[in-house]
Amino acid sequence: MTEEQQNSSPQQEESHKPDSTMKHIVSFAAMIVLTVAAFYIVMEDVVEPNMILPLLLFFASIQVVLQLFTFMHLNQKGTAYYTIFIFTGVIIAVVSAVGIILM
Amino acid sequence: MASDAHTNTNHASNHLETATLEGKNKVLGFWLFLAAEVVLFACLFGTYLALKSQTMSGPTSMELFDLNLVIVATALLLTSSLTSVFAMSAMNQRKLKLMQFWLGVTVFLGLAFLILEIYEFVHYIHLGHTFMSSAFGSAFYALVGTHGAHVTFGIIWISSLMIQAQKRGINTDTAPKLFVSSLYWHFIDVVWVFIFSLVYLLGKVG
Repeated sequence: MTEEQQNSSPQQEESHKPDSTMKHIVSFAAMIVLTVAAFYIVMEDVVEPNMILPLLLFFASIQVVLQLFTFMHLNQKGTAYYTIFIFTGVIIAVVSAVGIILM
Repeated sequence: MASDAHTNTNHASNHLETATLEGKNKVLGFWLFLAAEVVLFACLFGTYLALKSQTMSGPTSMELFDLNLVIVATALLLTSSLTSVFAMSAMNQRKLKLMQFWLGVTVFLGLAFLILEIYEFVHYIHLGHTFMSSAFGSAFYALVGTHGAHVTFGIIWISSLMIQAQKRGINTDTAPKLFVSSLYWHFIDVVWVFIFSLVYLLGKVG
């Protein structure tokens, strides 16, 4: 077991670490901005009431895309199958949810 | 672990979690699981949105929800998603201590979120908003409660993986497990984004 810890020399990954951390922080900041925007339009009454739902869905969707492609690493190589799986799920999910709401 | 030799033969990206076939399969299988979870939550969201006005003269969402509490809960969960991604970078640099630190912060933020949610539910029950009080109540607790159950499970899961990582170190056996638990944690945050948008914020619009 201990040899793994000795093996754990950090030099292997060091080179591409800073910019991926940077990317995560930028995407985190974008999520904060989107969250604040969502609370703002509801709390401050700045847009027409019938525009609130589309805007909330829009902000939420961007946040989800950011989570998937930066935090959950779908931007990396070799993730095509993961993307196919999750988006198939999303399509079935949207159909189910809309079906239930309209029922 | 003889399999450790594979670690360094991995192509340029050098990701420990997909360094072995078993690790790759775990991650692939987990995405399939997440796709199923998306459908589960979508059905609960659909049910909630269809029933949210059926309050049976009990308290409405307008009267109940306190957005300040929701802002704090959102900040906690969103930050925990970032610390979880930091833990995964530390893992891929084979820095056990740093990884354990970030995982610890993630679990701590998750616990704080959970305590806030329990407080919120207890508060609502005192106001007469229960699972049995109306269709709105049932749909609300089914949706938000399922999310809370996921947070609870995530906390237990990540904590036990921290113990395992402490014992065994970061290797091709523990890395896929840690990575998959981090995906789960991000997924919990994704669901929360929709809960605060479609349940709490929309509930205040009426």
